This record gives sequence, structure tokens and C-alpha cells, in this order.
Amino acid sequence: MTHTLLQTIITIVVMMGVLQGACAYLIYVERKVAAYMQARIGPNRVGPFGLLQPIADGLKFLFKEEVIPGNVDKLLFLLSPAVAVGTATFAFAVVPFGPTSNTPGEYQFVIAPGIDIGILFTFAIGSLAAYGIILGGWSSNNKYSFLGAMRSTAQIISYEIPLGMSILGVVLLAGSLNLERIIDQQVRDGWNVFYQPLAFLLFLLAVMAECNRLPFDLPEAEQELIGGYHTEYSGLKFGLFFLGEYTHVITTALLLSVVFFGGWYFPGIVGPESGIILKLLSIWLKALAFILFYMFIRWTIPRFRFDQLMGLAWRTLIPLAMVNLVCVMLVKEFRLSLWLLPPTSLALLLGATVLSLKYPQQPRRRLLTVAADGQPAVTTAR
Amino acid sequence: MQSFDLATYYPIFIFLVFVLGFAVTAMAMAHLVGPARKTPVKQMPYESGMDPVGDARQHFDVKFYLIAILFLVFDVELLFLYPWAAMAYREGNEALLPAELRGPVFVVVLVFLATLAIGYVYAWRKGVFQWR
Repeated sequence: MTHTLLQTIITIVVMMGVLQGACAYLIYVERKVAAYMQARIGPNRVGPFGLLQPIADGLKFLFKEEVIPGNVDKLLFLLSPAVAVGTATFAFAVVPFGPTSNTPGEYQFVIAPGIDIGILFTFAIGSLAAYGIILGGWSSNNKYSFLGAMRSTAQIISYEIPLGMSILGVVLLAGSLNLERIIDQQVRDGWNVFYQPLAFLLFLLAVMAECNRLPFDLPEAEQELIGGYHTEYSGLKFGLFFLGEYTHVITTALLLSVVFFGGWYFPGIVGPESGIILKLLSIWLKALAFILFYMFIRWTIPRFRFDQLMGLAWRTLIPLAMVNLVCVMLVKEFRLSLWLLPPTSLALLLGATVLSLKYPQQPRRRLLTVAADGQPAVTTAR
Repeated sequence: MQSFDLATYYPIFIFLVFVLGFAVTAMAMAHLVGPARKTPVKQMPYESGMDPVGDARQHFDVKFYLIAILFLVFDVELLFLYPWAAMAYREGNEALLPAELRGPVFVVVLVFLATLAIGYVYAWRKGVFQWR
């Protein structure tokens, strides 16, 4: 099952190249999508249709001056972008990006095949990205960076919990954390999204928040925080933050397609006779669909308010994930039909909707009236 | 039952070396290639053109601390659930749990989740999830 040393090194080199190329071109795609959704043309100056734009951007990143402000904590300031891009790339180690099989001797499209902790590894390393952000924000010694980093960390650790909890149902169904085995189970039983639609929704929301994608991009809210935690970064260090973010997007899109949409498995594309190309196409098209979905969402839904953001994680996603887990557990324990799960998910979703419409979340702020002459300041809760 | 083989993990370490190498090279390249002309104004923190007042590292709200504590509670709880989820319902010759233990384990996990739910409800009633 494991690769030889040479295979490993070739896979790593090729995949790092693919990841960086894909990140560069995703930024181009993102700009094009944004442009078309706002009735603009988008980048079209460098090369035909602006196709060389990512290369020009990369060169510009490299040749721009790296400003290191005088009052920063230099070591942490330099460490932070490296941590951000390093953890995002490292989390990719166990994610299948092509056909995998149990046949010994066959090439597996994973950097490290047969890792039993699989998805746990991805979560563990992926959540280290919070360090990159908080180190960057703290060391910058800039108020915008600091506020952005605090917000971002609070957001990332809050959404970590629904992220991990929603996956537990799938793990119960597959009986393994190993991503290749999760695909195998879906080849047997069909895509997990049919059994776990609610978990899929929770996972999708949680990864969007983890990637700081737009409805959840409070940490970088340009209008209020300039750039959030990377306000003070310039040149290639800023580019590294960007690279880390887009690597995260690719990883999570692949994870979504692997965990809920069967990875390389598509009805009809099963056995060895369907060939590697079709399976590769199957997994990457699914991932691309998710990436495009992120981009469309970005220009469709406005940004949340921060208390709504935290409320969504703590008061909606976590209880839903917990109840969903109990449902899967009951079905598995009493050996009921797996087809009981989708109606349960639907019922839970409807229940949550009804409850949240019945008890809408009020913004509760302390209103502070400024002290008038001779009178103390009054705090009232609304 | 599968045997555990540490050798399957070696690509991860090779990958780690490559990732570290990439990060370090990128930072070094940025340092070597780009120009560096320091001026006093450039060295200032960027605060939309205003001269910065005071230090950025001030007291911050205690609610962030609260969120961090809650995160710890729930994340540790998740870590307890992962091994159980991976092994509890394996079927046939892959089964890791003896048949007579399935019932007790089910009850124990239910109790565990119930305890967690009680803690969750308590925190909710205390208004911890109310971001204000």
C-alpha cells in the first residue's frame, strides 16, 4: 500500500507544484468570477484573456519591497506567514486527489497512503493555521492586525467544533478515519451526502468559516479592519498568506468531495476498467464545483455581524451536529435502515429553521450613555 | 484486524521537510530579491495615515478568553469521541469491539453525550453563547 521513496518524492514535488499553480490560477478565476458577477471584464491585460496575470502577480510579489515596520516582534513577524502556508500545505498530506485502491502494488493518488488517522490529521494540522494568524496579528503591533487576529482566532476555534462533530457521523458509517476507506465505503453504499445531508451542510458552513471565505470573512473585513491580521505584511510575505488561504480552499474542496461525494467514485466509474483519467476528472471536477460554489457564495451573501457569526456556530451548528451524531449512532446500534437518516436530517433542519424563526436572535448590546455633568454614566442592557 | 505499521507514516515526514524547505526558501527569496529602502514613515505601523496613538497590545475583552475555554471543553470531548466512532461499528472480521461489549459501550457513550448536553444547556442558560 505504501509508496516507495522515489514515488513519494515525485508525488510530493508534483503535488506542491500543482497546488501552487492551482492557487495562482484560482486567484485569477476568482477575479474573473467576481468581475462577471459585477458586470465587469476582470483581468485582461497580461496575455490572452489575462491568462498570464497570475505569473505577473507572482513576480510582483517577489520584487516588491518587504516592509518590516520598526515596532514589530521580528521573529514572530517572520514566522507567521511561514506557519500559515506551511500548515495549509502540510494538511494536504493525507487527502486523496485521485483514484485509490486496496490492490497492493498499485499507485495511490495520495501523498501518504494508508494513514489510519486520516481526517483527524487534516483537522489537527489545519487548525494550527490559527497560530499563523494570531502570531501575525500579535507581532505586527498594529491595532487593526490585533483586532483581526483576535476575531479570526475566536472564529476559527468556534467553527472547529461543528467541523469535527459533523464528520463523526460519516466516521461511524465508514468505521474508519482513513480517507481511502471512507471512499471504499461509499463505493459500497453510495455517496455519504445521501445519508448525511445535514452533516454535509454543517461541514460546508464550517469549512467556509475556517477558510475565512466571504460570508465569514470577519477577520479581514476590509471596510472595518483594512486587512485584518495581514495589514502590516507586504511583498512575498503577504503572498504567502494568500497562498495558504487558497491551499486551504483546495484542501477543503477536495475533502468535501472525498468525504461526502465519494471522491473518485461516480456511478459507473468504479472498477479498474474505467481508467485513471475518468477517476481523476471525477474527483477534480467535484472539487472545482465546490470552489466555484465558494466563489459564487462570496458575491451573493453579505458579511455576517460578529455576534451572528458566533451565534451560528455555538447555538445552531453545534447542537445540530450533536443531535445528528446521536441519530447516526441509534441507527447503527439498532441496525436500522440507513435510509432513515435523510428524513431525520431533513426533520432536524426544518426544526432548527422553525425554532430560529420563532426565537430570532436579538442583538444584545450594552448601551452606554455618556456621563452628563454631575451624573454617573448609565449602562443599560437591551 | 489490521496491524499498525509506523512505516506508513514516513511520507508525512518527507512532506514536512519539503514544506519547511519551501516556506524557508520563500522567505529567504523575499528577503534577498526585493529592495529594502527604509524610511521613518515606512517604519510606522499603518493606521490609515494617522500617527499611531499608544501601543496596540492593550487589554482585550474577556469574552475571547471565554470562547477559548469553551473550545477546549468541546474539543477534548471530540477527541474522546473519535476513537470510539472509528471502531464502534465495524462489521464482520474487522470488528474490534467484542459483541458482549457493544451494549455497555453504547450506554457509556450516551451517558457521555448526555453529560456534555447538560453542560451545554448550563452554558447556554448562563448566557455564555451570547456575544455582547
